[in-house]
Amino acid sequence: MPQIHIIMPQLGESIAEARIVQFLVKPGDQVEADQDLIEVETDKATTTVASPCKGRLEFFSAQLNESYAVDTSLGLIEASPEEAARLGMDVTAPQKGSEGDSSFSTYKGNGGKSRVLPTVRGLPVPANAAGASYLSPRLKARMDELGLHAADLAGVAGSGAAGRVTVEDFEKYIASLEKQKMSGASSMRVAVADAMRRSWTRPLATVGLPVALDAVLAHRKTCEPKPGPALYALRALALALAENSAPAGRLVGSKIVHPSAIDVGFAVEADDGVLVPVLRGADKKPLKDLTARYNELVELARQRKLPPDATGGSVATVTNFGTFGLVWATPIPLPEQTLVLGLGAGRKMPWWDEAKGQFVPVMEAYLTLSFDHRVLDGGAAGRLLQRIAQLISQPDSL
Amino acid sequence: MSLTYLDAIREAQAHALRDDPRVFIYGQDVGAFGGAFKATRNLAQEFPGRVLDAPISEDAIVGLAVGAAIEGLRPILEMQFADFCSVGFNQIVNQAATLFWRTNVPCPITIRLPFGGTSGAGPFHSQTPETIYAHYPGLIVLTPATVEDAYAMLLEAVAIDDPVIFCEHKLLYRHLKAEKLPTEALPIGKARIAREGRDLTIVAYSAMVQDALEAAVELAAEGWQIEIVDLRSVKPLDTDTVIASVARTGKLLCVGEAWPWGGVTAEVIARVMSEGFGLLDAPPQRLNAKDTPVPFHPNLWAAHRPTVRAIAAAARKILRH
Repeated sequence: MPQIHIIMPQLGESIAEARIVQFLVKPGDQVEADQDLIEVETDKATTTVASPCKGRLEFFSAQLNESYAVDTSLGLIEASPEEAARLGMDVTAPQKGSEGDSSFSTYKGNGGKSRVLPTVRGLPVPANAAGASYLSPRLKARMDELGLHAADLAGVAGSGAAGRVTVEDFEKYIASLEKQKMSGASSMRVAVADAMRRSWTRPLATVGLPVALDAVLAHRKTCEPKPGPALYALRALALALAENSAPAGRLVGSKIVHPSAIDVGFAVEADDGVLVPVLRGADKKPLKDLTARYNELVELARQRKLPPDATGGSVATVTNFGTFGLVWATPIPLPEQTLVLGLGAGRKMPWWDEAKGQFVPVMEAYLTLSFDHRVLDGGAAGRLLQRIAQLISQPDSL
Repeated sequence: MSLTYLDAIREAQAHALRDDPRVFIYGQDVGAFGGAFKATRNLAQEFPGRVLDAPISEDAIVGLAVGAAIEGLRPILEMQFADFCSVGFNQIVNQAATLFWRTNVPCPITIRLPFGGTSGAGPFHSQTPETIYAHYPGLIVLTPATVEDAYAMLLEAVAIDDPVIFCEHKLLYRHLKAEKLPTEALPIGKARIAREGRDLTIVAYSAMVQDALEAAVELAAEGWQIEIVDLRSVKPLDTDTVIASVARTGKLLCVGEAWPWGGVTAEVIARVMSEGFGLLDAPPQRLNAKDTPVPFHPNLWAAHRPTVRAIAAAARKILRH
């Protein structure tokens, strides 16, 4: 009688192997085509392996709780010659093992467990890796020589295998640039570009919600010197992080690195770039004690005279893009940070007042929080932003 | 007048015998019979007493030559087939290759190895053992690919004070022709750019240079400009010329008729990887014979060795990378 292998099927595009959880029939049982025989588990789901044909189950070569690669034989079914012919087998050829010889012994026990095979095979570069993703040593050396980064190749169409940029493509691109007007980028521009390029290697996401700024504006009038709206946001962020610093942690390998102090930076536009001075221990001092230092740092940043201890090492940044009249934005966190809090421009908006039963005018602005999605999810980012909004609505407590 | 590769080898030996009284030829049937391939035809008559038949013992042939070299002579040895040279291996690698190192006495022996595959020749008459000899310090291994080089390099081999393994390709003996003998040549240890190109460097030696040149013509019809480096001498190996060529093309294919395990093609790639990694725009590849004994049947033999078609196919793969 012909014997037909039960084969571990391809259970998903990226699945290379699956673990045997349970056998649903036992050797000697009659099975139908497509009947579930084995329950298997992948890292994504539990599913079943079905019988390839009608027949009698001879044995399972697979073992419980062991993992087997796709295309591995898991056992044998003895089928009728008609059934085998239906599956396209040449039933006239002598069937190895039909006399119970040892031809199939390799499929019994652990000896039958084949090595896990890679899912991607046979291509010199991954098939979907288009454009600049694969750089040959030659191209890398040439780019190093010219001081270019992979991001600079974004605009080059590759003519190599899988669309890679060959060194000829690159030289043509460089030659074409030389026909256009070129000016040197300032060192500030280059530094910002480098920071943004490094930051963009992470999956970044942004959430936002509107807040009423009326309380802040009223509070502001009572202060001297007057704190800017961004400082309120900064202080609220610092207090929220002091309660729970985990969202500001950085993912390094398989570890979350927690911040050692709540030092918060804020973005200041300077000539052809952005500087980020830092308020140290922003959670430790009340708003009124931070104002003078904040104003001083803004001035120093604009003059590009920030002292070394006022830059770097902050755990998050606040950016007031509302100063450009923008209502919404998705700022990019600094590469060494997980969070950037944005503040949009205030606008008078009608808010529904449940108590009065009517719309009332409110100075509304959007708070945005951009974050590294590897470290926190929308829920955690949303809860942090809600807490910041809550703190801003009570400026006396800041 | 038209000269073959084989004529060039005979003429070079005649020239050496004429020029230098210390030169003599020793090998099986090299005398009255003129050699298995007629590479010494009429030399015994022209130079009486200096073209000597040897017994069928490669071991004894090389051993005698080492003794003659110690006594100040410059023997040219002919092995009937490179395959049989393995019988004289001990004398070559242990005695000849180390003599100068051990004793400060030079060992100017030239050992001619008719090597390489021809249709139907099979495992004992087709081998290309240049790699084995190149492995040993003290030996020089030459692999001329043209009539001119066969002449000029054999003359230089006789003039060199070190033992030289002179690999002459049997397939080229009668197929390759030139109008006249050269009056000048590149020095030993210098590779030759056999064809200029900018898209891919093919490094080859001996008969594979001719196949690579044919493949380059085929690829030129597709718009590719292939540069071909003829190594000429596999030891010493001219890394500079190879690297300079890869600097122009960014891509490398090494072709050898020998087996793939280790060998000249592997050595060239190893050197380019370590000294010219930043020049490569594609992974360097090599094309060799299959890792089996050489088959007798002409169809199997054609599948075994790199052919023009196989070289062009390997080149296209790199060019499209």
